[in-house]
Amino acid sequence: MAENDGATTPVSGSWVLVALAWLGVGLPLLWGVWTTLQKAVVLFR
Amino acid sequence: MAGLLSRERIIAKPGFNRWLVPPAALAIHLSIGMAYGFSVFWLPLSRAIGITEPVPCPDSMGFFETLTATGCDWKISTLGWMYTLFFVFLGSSAAVFGRWLEHAGPRKAGVVAAFCWAGGFLISALGVHLHQIWLLWLGSGVIGGCGLGLGYISPVSTLIKWFPDRRGMATGMAIMGFGGGAMIGAPLADILMKHFATPASVGVQETFLTMGAIYFVAMLAGAFGYRIPSADWKPAGWTPAVQKSAMITSRHVHVDQAWRTPQFWLLWAVLCLNVSAGIGVIGMASPMIQEVFGGELIDLPGVALRELTQSQKAQLATIGAAFAALLSVFNIAGRISWASLSDYLGRKRTYAVFFALGTVLYALAPWAGRLGSVALFVALFCVILTMYGGGFATIPAYLADIFGTQFVGAIHGRLLTAWSAAGILGPVLVNYLREYQIDRGVPAAQAYNFTMYVLAALLVVGFLCNLAIRPVAGRWFMSDAEVERERASLRRVIA
Repeated sequence: MAENDGATTPVSGSWVLVALAWLGVGLPLLWGVWTTLQKAVVLFR
Repeated sequence: MAGLLSRERIIAKPGFNRWLVPPAALAIHLSIGMAYGFSVFWLPLSRAIGITEPVPCPDSMGFFETLTATGCDWKISTLGWMYTLFFVFLGSSAAVFGRWLEHAGPRKAGVVAAFCWAGGFLISALGVHLHQIWLLWLGSGVIGGCGLGLGYISPVSTLIKWFPDRRGMATGMAIMGFGGGAMIGAPLADILMKHFATPASVGVQETFLTMGAIYFVAMLAGAFGYRIPSADWKPAGWTPAVQKSAMITSRHVHVDQAWRTPQFWLLWAVLCLNVSAGIGVIGMASPMIQEVFGGELIDLPGVALRELTQSQKAQLATIGAAFAALLSVFNIAGRISWASLSDYLGRKRTYAVFFALGTVLYALAPWAGRLGSVALFVALFCVILTMYGGGFATIPAYLADIFGTQFVGAIHGRLLTAWSAAGILGPVLVNYLREYQIDRGVPAAQAYNFTMYVLAALLVVGFLCNLAIRPVAGRWFMSDAEVERERASLRRVIA
């Protein structure tokens, strides 16, 4: 996997783990942004 | 346990996917970012004894007696000291422990941060149980504040090494989490307090315990997700530009030398001035929009805030809270977007945009107020807040460009003292200038005009400081032998 100049390509299966890790932090963050935007919507009424 | 946390254990194997590191960093930053949302506890804690209504302490009671009194409630101003402690200890611990972090590695730092931040919640829960405010200050403010500092800087150096091609974007992703932590934590705390509240309890103690446990697990998951690249690693297909910008060095300045350079202090001033202006606005956003527009916000043009009925004032307070919420969304959006853009624009140009555009927008705010245009006023501050967040998120990459990557985490830690200073300077400036204007008989709707011009002037000074930043003189850089000695000492730590 390692190339001669130190550069490596991620193993293909790792992208599933990447997606799960991003879901783990992304979903709570999206929930937080959504909750905040719901509060902010009063400003536009 | 020490072996499990050591640098050796977290050197990535070939084939490791570097996109796993930003979510690990985000898990930590989203947890410690709750520091911004602690005000959600102030009202319930201010009636922890009285439950439905606060029980005030007698006027005869001295300050020190109120710290240990168990029969009367805490004032919100007393609880608010926790904020000051958060940011003072964040800056101090980042400055003091940054050097240690470079040697100990991000996982150990992340684990210590988890113990401090979650431990702070546990001590605070005990403080609520025993009704001792000093335990809350010590737990969340001092110990939790140290966790904030360590957690904040723990991924910086690692992310910059994993993303040499996108330094701004990488650190922007993590630091976006710090801005977003309160968006998750504050509503979660609200839900938990309602769930745990009983006729005999406001539910804060149980909420502290639950949130401490959640943050402990999330931060440990983040810390154990950290990996550092091997010394010769680089992204596949990426080759460093042969003719790099003069503002991006490939050499390294030692952390103990960096603070002696004019560049460090210019960057300190750049961060301090950018943050002072933004943090002052964040603290006053809700009352500011209410005082500037008054009845205009509820279709009663020309009616000042003091002339409104209680129910109309309550409507305005809701709109004020909505304005503050909207600003927080733009704050986090600015963190990722400006930091990513800085990879293309360059760090110096990005800050030049912050200061130049910021000056114009602050100077336009009084005009938008006079015009009675709520939409324009809100839009101006939304853009300003993106640049406030962008300033935080872009500074680690700026430091890496100027001082090199070897000690960037530690140098960033020392630079964060600028944040502590701004945390005092910004709110003090905005609050006192407003009060000074009102004492001079200026109507409340215009009391912020002078403040906006002063903030614009601060940004002009920031622009000049940024303009003065030049590449570090050759004498400050470590020699190749010194860099090798430093790396060898790291290898000894590993061994």
